[in-house]
Amino acid sequence: MTARTFVAEWVLEPGTGKAIEVLAGQVLRIEQVDGGQCVDFNAFNLHDYKEFMHCGRTRTVHGFNPSTGTFLWSAPPRERAMFYLLADTVGRNDVLFPRCSAYVYESTYGFSAHTNCHDIQAEAQREYGLTPDDVHDSFNLFMATDVLPGGAVRISRQDSRPGDHVELLALIDTLAVPNVCGADVMRTSNFFLKPVKVTVFEASADDLARVPALPVLTSQRTPKDFRNATIKADRELRRDPDYEPTFLNTPLSVTEVAVELDDDELALLRDYEHAPLYRGDPGATLRDIFFSWWEQQYVTSPNGAPTVTSSSSPTPADERPQP
Amino acid sequence: MKHLVHVPLNRQQLELLDRTVARGAAPDRAALLKLALRSWAPAHRATTPLKETGR
Repeated sequence: MTARTFVAEWVLEPGTGKAIEVLAGQVLRIEQVDGGQCVDFNAFNLHDYKEFMHCGRTRTVHGFNPSTGTFLWSAPPRERAMFYLLADTVGRNDVLFPRCSAYVYESTYGFSAHTNCHDIQAEAQREYGLTPDDVHDSFNLFMATDVLPGGAVRISRQDSRPGDHVELLALIDTLAVPNVCGADVMRTSNFFLKPVKVTVFEASADDLARVPALPVLTSQRTPKDFRNATIKADRELRRDPDYEPTFLNTPLSVTEVAVELDDDELALLRDYEHAPLYRGDPGATLRDIFFSWWEQQYVTSPNGAPTVTSSSSPTPADERPQP
Repeated sequence: MKHLVHVPLNRQQLELLDRTVARGAAPDRAALLKLALRSWAPAHRATTPLKETGR
């Protein structure tokens, strides 16, 4: 067993944030000082800011409230695990709500100037040359949210206490940007802003051993794979007159596979619960059945999650561990 | 009585079928489609209460 090594520590005061280099193999701990404080979080690849954390993929894979044992993912086409969530003493984080912004406080509350997560993030990121347009959807730590029947979303008061913390283990070199959420007139942080403590450690061997193995897939592309790898550096959008579309696998030609069915099999097809969608088209109905069956047989993780083992090969259902 | 059904599949979908056949699930594409029908459809009739699979 090896111990963590302390690297650096900050206390972020209300209304502020901090861009912090958290290198692969380091742990970022974000900790409540007084309790009850939401923390918004952005993250970038330290060596290529165009790769950044993607809440959309993260919530698709891990749900609306990622906690211990989940990953924070970067956006397509990179789709790499940027952080592993090592510890979470509260278990109420959010990837559903966007960062709060000046617009919200002006439109809803009438403030001409008010602390808000977008502008706090932008100011913290400016230390590394990023602009307000580079702020992305935030991973909202210690934010209690729900989806209500019917689809409406809700923020609730939170009950984090002093010392409660979330620990993120960096899997690549990152610029991590936590900020104290600026919402003092909302229940997000129980109607008051408090400081938070941020600490960086070198991970212990035990920390590193806890990260599940992920497959490396050819679809995880980097700029060397891009047809246009040059970052656009002016603001105007102009059409490239030499552009020739090269969409993957197109045209998607269609082939018909003939299948001979007996009376019983045809009856199964006609009685299929989703057959009405296909308005009497038996081929389309059988296609639905095939892919539904295949998914059940071979898909090991829902919603595009990777197979968290050393192998990415599909595993038949009868060889899978029971849920 | 025999009934011939034509299943339209694009090249990507065919690739998936072919990989599944290569794994030994069935001897050919048509047999694989019949296997799916026989395996899946009996439990998913319109009169069967809908079961949530999580996907």
